[in-house]
Amino acid sequence: MTKEAIDMPQKGGFSFDLCKRNDMLLQNGLKMPSFLKTGTTIVGLIFQDGVILGADTRATEGPIVADKNCEKIHYIAPNIYCCGAGTAADTEAVTDMISSQLTLHRYHTGRESRVVTALSLLKSHLFNYQGHVSAALVLGGVDVTGPHLHTIYPHGSTDTLPYATMGSGSLAAMAIFESKYREGLSREEGVALVAEAIRSGIFNDLGSGSNVDICVITKGQKEYLRNHMTPNPRTYVSEKGYSFSKKTELLSTKITPLRETVVVIEGGDAMEE
Amino acid sequence: MGDSQYSFSLTTFSPSGKLVQIEHALTAVGSGQTSLGIKASNGVVIATEKKLPSILVDEASVQKIQILTPNIGVVYSGMGPDSRVLVRKSRKQAEQYHRLYKEPIPVTQLVRETAAVMQEFTQSGGVRPFGVSLLVAGYDDKGPQLYQVDPSGSYFSWKASAMGKNVSNAKTFLEKRYTDDMELDDAVHTAILTLKEGFEGQISGKNIEIGIISADKKFRVLTPSEIEDYLQEVE
Repeated sequence: MTKEAIDMPQKGGFSFDLCKRNDMLLQNGLKMPSFLKTGTTIVGLIFQDGVILGADTRATEGPIVADKNCEKIHYIAPNIYCCGAGTAADTEAVTDMISSQLTLHRYHTGRESRVVTALSLLKSHLFNYQGHVSAALVLGGVDVTGPHLHTIYPHGSTDTLPYATMGSGSLAAMAIFESKYREGLSREEGVALVAEAIRSGIFNDLGSGSNVDICVITKGQKEYLRNHMTPNPRTYVSEKGYSFSKKTELLSTKITPLRETVVVIEGGDAMEE
Repeated sequence: MGDSQYSFSLTTFSPSGKLVQIEHALTAVGSGQTSLGIKASNGVVIATEKKLPSILVDEASVQKIQILTPNIGVVYSGMGPDSRVLVRKSRKQAEQYHRLYKEPIPVTQLVRETAAVMQEFTQSGGVRPFGVSLLVAGYDDKGPQLYQVDPSGSYFSWKASAMGKNVSNAKTFLEKRYTDDMELDDAVHTAILTLKEGFEGQISGKNIEIGIISADKKFRVLTPSEIEDYLQEVE
């Protein structure tokens, strides 16, 4: 290599300058940060009349279940919904923001929103933040050009697919899709397949659990089936009831319901200032 | 913003204490096409003339009455392009309010923010006041509401109001005809009759625009055929 008097400018591509330093740090005992798994199973598929999205309902904070019944299918437009995996705050904030932008766009154009519009807005936002907005999304909807299903990765890349899964339970769910998906499914078959895929994630992945949420979007109509399936019910009270040990004498029984019924008084006085 | 030579405010006080530019803006409004609004007991109606400069203009593409949120609509008198800027800003403000508070913006709040924008342009450097007066019609938890916003940024709640060319005749007509317990259908008929008063030529579904909001809280612009039905009822 001849030594040049002038420094050549970077030509782009990966810069190997720091590799030696990283190796030295590793040898000296530095622990590289590990990747955080996204605890979720989210899926989507295209059936004959439109798109079906599905999600589990477990929100995790490390090894703890933070929310047993959270909503992972977010509203973007009347004809477009989005499942979110990753950091819950990121998915909610980014879908909320794009939903707001699309509402304004609908007022200005007077037209129904298109799925590719939502896709472009989401991917350019995520790319600008270089993956620091940890939102992995499954975007689906039906517009004038037909049904569409896309996956969006935190760094801003997208795929357009007939069936898709994301999250830590994606492999379990994809196994179901790969063996049972075919084109031209009916609504019942599609919902059953999505529910099966989510159940596969719920039972085989620790990061996913609780119930199955489903959203069916067709031309001009959408059905949000919240808690379509609850395969993990919680039993609070033993059916046998509470029985005291033989030496205790039962003097009286009083049953207090845990949920009080609220009585609404029509035309009551307003609160005092 | 703008050249340094024009970075002072063009709206400066006259010795009599008036802001002459705003007076001129009101004159611009006064020479615009007539528009009016009526608040009924169960809704609000806003209406305007839609006189196009030539028969060659595609009248289906022109829409003077605009929707700001699902339950708030607006009509203007004066310079159309100025109203488009205000409509755009108001829609954005309504959306921002909704994102922050997760509730639909109350009519008073939206009117207040729109009026604040209009006032800004009477006190900033290198800009001129808006040459429009707006009639904002909405239905929220407080019931049906009608507000008029002027180029100065002042706003008032009205039971019935008119703006534009025929304002004095229209207001006298409305004063005579208005009743507090009016229903929305009666209000639409009254609105049509008021527009008819000063209308040059034959009134039809294609040269007036009517927007209504009823207790269902959904603002919508009537189609020309619906207007024709109302016109026939009035005849």
